Formats: sequence, structure tokens, C-alpha cells
Amino acid sequence: MSDDDWPTPLPHPDDDEVSGADASVLSVFAPESETSAGPAVEAVEASSEHISAPPPTGSASESALAATVEPLVGATSPSGTARRRRAGPLTWIGAILLLAWLVAVPFMSTVTELRQNTQLVVMVLAVLGVNIATGYGGMISLGHGVFVALGAFGAAYAADDLSLPWIVSIVAGAVVAGVAGGVIGLPALRIKGIHLALVTLGLAIVFQPLSKRFPAFTGGVSGRAVGAELTPPDWFGTTRWAEGLYRYLVCLAIVALAMWLTYNIINSRPGRAMRALRDNDTAAAVYGVNLVTTRVTTFAVSASLAGLAGALGIILVPFTSQESFPFQESLVLYAMAVLGGLGSLWGSVLGVAIREVFSWLGELLGGVSGLGPISEFLSLLDEEHFVFGVILIALTFVFPRGLIGLFRPRRRGQD
Amino acid sequence: MDMVLLLQRVFDALFNSAIYSSLALALVIIFRSTGLLNFAQGEMATFSAYVAFVLLSGAAPGVTGGGLASWIGAPLIAPLAIAGAIIFGVAAGAATERVLIRPLRGAPELALVNVTIGILLALNSLMGQWWGTGPRVFPPIFPSGADDHFAIGGARLRFSTVGAWMILIVLLVLLALLLQRTRAGLAFRAVSIDPVSAELSGIRVGPTLMYGWALAAGLGAIAANISANSVLLEPTMMVRVLVYAFAAATLGGLDSPKGALIGGVIIGLSQTLIPAYVPFIGFELSVLPAMLAMVGVLIVRPAGLFGTQRIERV
Repeated sequence: MSDDDWPTPLPHPDDDEVSGADASVLSVFAPESETSAGPAVEAVEASSEHISAPPPTGSASESALAATVEPLVGATSPSGTARRRRAGPLTWIGAILLLAWLVAVPFMSTVTELRQNTQLVVMVLAVLGVNIATGYGGMISLGHGVFVALGAFGAAYAADDLSLPWIVSIVAGAVVAGVAGGVIGLPALRIKGIHLALVTLGLAIVFQPLSKRFPAFTGGVSGRAVGAELTPPDWFGTTRWAEGLYRYLVCLAIVALAMWLTYNIINSRPGRAMRALRDNDTAAAVYGVNLVTTRVTTFAVSASLAGLAGALGIILVPFTSQESFPFQESLVLYAMAVLGGLGSLWGSVLGVAIREVFSWLGELLGGVSGLGPISEFLSLLDEEHFVFGVILIALTFVFPRGLIGLFRPRRRGQD
Repeated sequence: MDMVLLLQRVFDALFNSAIYSSLALALVIIFRSTGLLNFAQGEMATFSAYVAFVLLSGAAPGVTGGGLASWIGAPLIAPLAIAGAIIFGVAAGAATERVLIRPLRGAPELALVNVTIGILLALNSLMGQWWGTGPRVFPPIFPSGADDHFAIGGARLRFSTVGAWMILIVLLVLLALLLQRTRAGLAFRAVSIDPVSAELSGIRVGPTLMYGWALAAGLGAIAANISANSVLLEPTMMVRVLVYAFAAATLGGLDSPKGALIGGVIIGLSQTLIPAYVPFIGFELSVLPAMLAMVGVLIVRPAGLFGTQRIERV
């Protein structure tokens, strides 16, 4: 396999809906003082996220700029033409399936199933958190389960010990995780690539013993129950199903809001700064991206998304314990982000959806008995960690860009 | 300060030091040659220990009874089983390189992280599924009864510690001879320094790296088999050990075998001594100093104590 099979630094992420964004990412940060490049820069700033920048042509300094940018980011759009990504049929099918599932799920589930399905919706945020750090920020994180846990503990602490209203508690959980993420993001300023993967994996492994040491916050070995529960207003109904539906809607709304915010961050200046740093940090710094704030903010945002997922988990099951956050969970979160597709918002949704499909398949096939060694093998398919381990390996060989790549036509100059 | 107690703690720590040093050495061998941190090193080692366990007790999934005990005399079985497990580990390491790592040459770092993390997850879960997540009793390699120790200055230096170090030293001597005195070792050093130039001068890079993986996996298997008796055999046995080993390798310099050895000793000592004398840290946080050391070294001096300083070209 030659080098050409591999896109540059990471399996090249499909930046969401930003066709040709790769080409423009760095040019956006061209110094304003360079007057000849000025118009091109303004054109990029003014253009919507869907329109790619016309590569500057003309004066010597401009072509020098273009020469710097092009090799760094690979694909460039044909000169002067704006392209818009069309949604393929698969995208429509996916969108319709997702919508149909979201609408149908409360009516087709028992109370327990509805809670589990809501947990799935919430999980999207945790996977998205990994995706922001790894896919958009280029900082491999194998420890995002820690931030999910911190969000859960933070929300539980705020709701119980501080008796804050639930909405404040949820935000508090996300903030706790975000601050921790910012602090843990500090080493990421110096530690890059595989070494950062090592540090975050270490964090995930150390977290369990660490959290046992602070029982006031985490409930120690046995975990902590949360007294205050989120209950719907009277007009909504008082059955357990109505309660479940209410929580489902609340979680869905918060997840949608968080995704919308994330989408906007990704497709605005901070998002472009993130991707520029990922693709070439030296070049990005030269173009005026503040390395320190961008890296720390990226990690903080990604951690607070994971923390939000943890905090919402408290609403659904009013109990949390360090037992629920073994290091393998962090790795599964990472696997889902990779599986769906790094550098893609919808890839994270896809990752969670596929997890559900696999767990359903695993239950189905794992229950088959009476086939001797084949049953023995099939029962392994019910082991989520095993399945995700194998998927991670297989994916690297089969779909290096993640499954979201299936939904996207390959761009010229990639792969 | 109670000097006898201090000496005793140092002696106890030295056993762990030997384990961390050998695993760190395995990590360094792979990092030097491929620039890859093998996150699955610990699980691969644990799997080898389970192979020894199966050879001893016949407790393979789907197999009942049997084991070596049924057809070989009792005193011989433990060393034989462990030798078998190490051979298995070496073969599995070579196979991993051939099947999963070699096709990814030239791939971005992320692909290699994915593969090694995938192996970690899959093996960890597989072991839990096949042999249960509960701890298993593993036979001692060295005499480890209550009286099997040297008394030095009032403290006890256990035979198992001495044995672990003897094995480690023998391995180091063999490794040094292999690397410095054989053609394969020369090829391996050449590939570690510059794979492209090595390939151009006629060295077959792939097979050479495979030897490296085999060697590293063998070291890991030995470490796991030595420690399985004292920490009890379970699927997550090497997970925390891996953190210590990575800390040791980072501290010593990720591309320095000497650093791995010294880093292992330092981390092993700090794991026992720091919690003992700093009450806040206590037993549960004994992994914290190692973790902080790792992060600190990576931030302040990424090359570690003995590693090569890297200069980034802009």
C-alpha cells in the first residue's frame, strides 16, 4: 500500500457541509496587512460556509500565498468556481430514517426502552465531543469517558448537595467537564499526536481509582444516587410513560441545541482555526491563529459536550458511580467517533446508530445456541467491547474515513 | 524514619520495577523501530499468561480437563507451560506485525492508534469472555513460600524479586548481544535509525520489524508470566501495569532501552515509596505519581532522560 492511499495527517475528515473549506481554511487567516491578498480574504469571510474561496491569482505575493496553502491542505477547488455539495440519495434516506426513528420511538417503546433510547440520543453528544477533539482539533482523545463521568458527578453534586434546579445542574455538569477539559487540554499544547493518545488513555485508566479517592464528589466505591428528579408539569400527564416522554423531549431538545451550537462553532472562525491547527499548526500560527486559546478552547468545548451527555444521563437514571466509567467505555466512545467518521457532525450520529445496530445484531446472534463452537463464536458478538475492538481494526483497513464517507462523494484530490 | 521499613519497601518495589522495566523495554523496542506506541502490549502479554494457564489446567474455552498435568510429571509442568506461553507470545507478536501493522506502512498515526486500541479492546473483552473476569490463581515461577527470602539488614529480599531481576538481566544481555553482534541485530538497528536508507541498502524492512515485534511480545509475555502469580491472573491485570510501563518508558526516553530500564526502576520505587510517605496520595492513588511523571516529562522534556532530542523542521 503506497502513501498515496492515505490522505494527510488524519484520514481526511469531511468537514461538514463546508465544501472546499479545506482550501480556504488557511487563507482565511491571511494577515490583513498584506493588501494584495486583502480582497481574496474578504471574499472568503463574506462568503457563506458553502462557497469555497477562489484561490488568489495575480500578483507575486498572492501566488506565494496560494503556493503555501495548497500543499498544506491538499484539495483545492477549480479556480474561481463556487461549488455546493448536493445531498446524495443516501443522505436523504439517512435523514428520513433518523427523523422517522425520532418521531416513532416514544410510541413504540415501553418505559424502559424509551429510557434506553433516550440514552442513545444523549450519547451522540459524548461521541461528538470525541469528534471535536480528535476529528476537528486533531488531538486524539482516548479518555472522553472521564468527561462524561465528570459531567454526571458535577450535575449530581449541583442537584443534590447544592439543591440547584435541574437545568442549572445540567449546565453545571457541562461546565465542570469543560473546565476539566481546559485544564487537561493544557498539556495538549505541548503533547501531540500519539503521545496525547497515551496521556488520555492513561487518564481514562487512572480515573476509576482517582474517583474512589474523592467520595464526597463521586460517592466513592458505591456511587451516588440523585434525589431530585426531573418531573413533567401536571398538564403533561403523570403516567410513567408521560414522564419518560417528557425526559425524552427535554434531552432531544438539549441535544439538538448543543449540536446546532457546535455546528455554528465549527463553521465559523474558531472552527476554521481548529482545522487549520489540525492540518498544520506552524502554518496556522504564522497566519495568526492563537495556538494556546484555540487548542484549550477546542478541548474544553469537546469535554463540555461529553460532560453534557453525562449530566443528561443523570436525568434519565438518577444514579451514578465510577463503576459505569471503566476505561473501555472511553475507548468505545472513541471507536464510535471513528466508526461514524471523524470531522463530521453527522458522523457522530451515525456512529451511535451503528452501535445500536450492532448491539441488536449481537443480541440476536449471540442468543443462538446449540451450534457448538459456532455458538461460542457468536456469543462473542454480544460482547460490545470485543465487537468495537474488531470494528476499529477492520475500519482502518476498509473505511479509513469512517462510514460517513459512504454518504459523501469523494472529492477530487482526496484518496 | 524507620530504615528497616524503608529497606523493606525498596525490596518490595524492586519486584514491580523488574516488571515495569521489561514491559517498558518491549514498548521501546517497538517505538524505536516503528514510531508506534503499542497500546495493546499489556493485553497481548496478559493473553500469553492465559495461554500458560490453559496449558496448565486445560481451561481453554470449550475444552474441559486435560492440560499438561495429565501427561507430564508434576514438577515440570509450570516451567514448560510458561515456556509454551512465551513461544506463543513471540509467534503472536510476529503475526500481529505481519497481518495488522505492516499493511499500514505510511499510514497516518491515527490508523495505528486505531489498530492497537482495537487489539486492546478486543483482547481484553475476549479474555473476559473466555476465562471470566474474576482473578485466577497462577503458579509461582520462583519459590515464594513464607521463608523463601534473603534477610538483609533486617529486611526480606524475596526470591521472586531476585529471580525476576536475574531473568531481566539475562534478557538484557541476550538482547544487547543480539543487537550488537548479529546480522539481524544490525539490520534492526539500521531500520530503527532510518527505514528508508536501510531499505535502499538492501535490508528487508518488513521482516526486520517483525523480529522486533516478536521480541517485544516475548518480553511482554515474560513480564506477564512473572507477575501473574503475585497480582493474580485477570483480564485487566496488565492495564495499570501498562500505565506504569509507559510512564517508565517516557521517563527514560521512548527510544532508549537504557532509559526503559532505569525508568522502570524509578517508577517502581515511586509507586511504593511515594504513597507510603505522602499520606494524601495513599494506596489508591499510587498510579498518580507515575501519571504525573509521564505528563510532566512529555511537556518539559519530551526526549526523557536518555532519549534522542528531536528537532522539528518547519
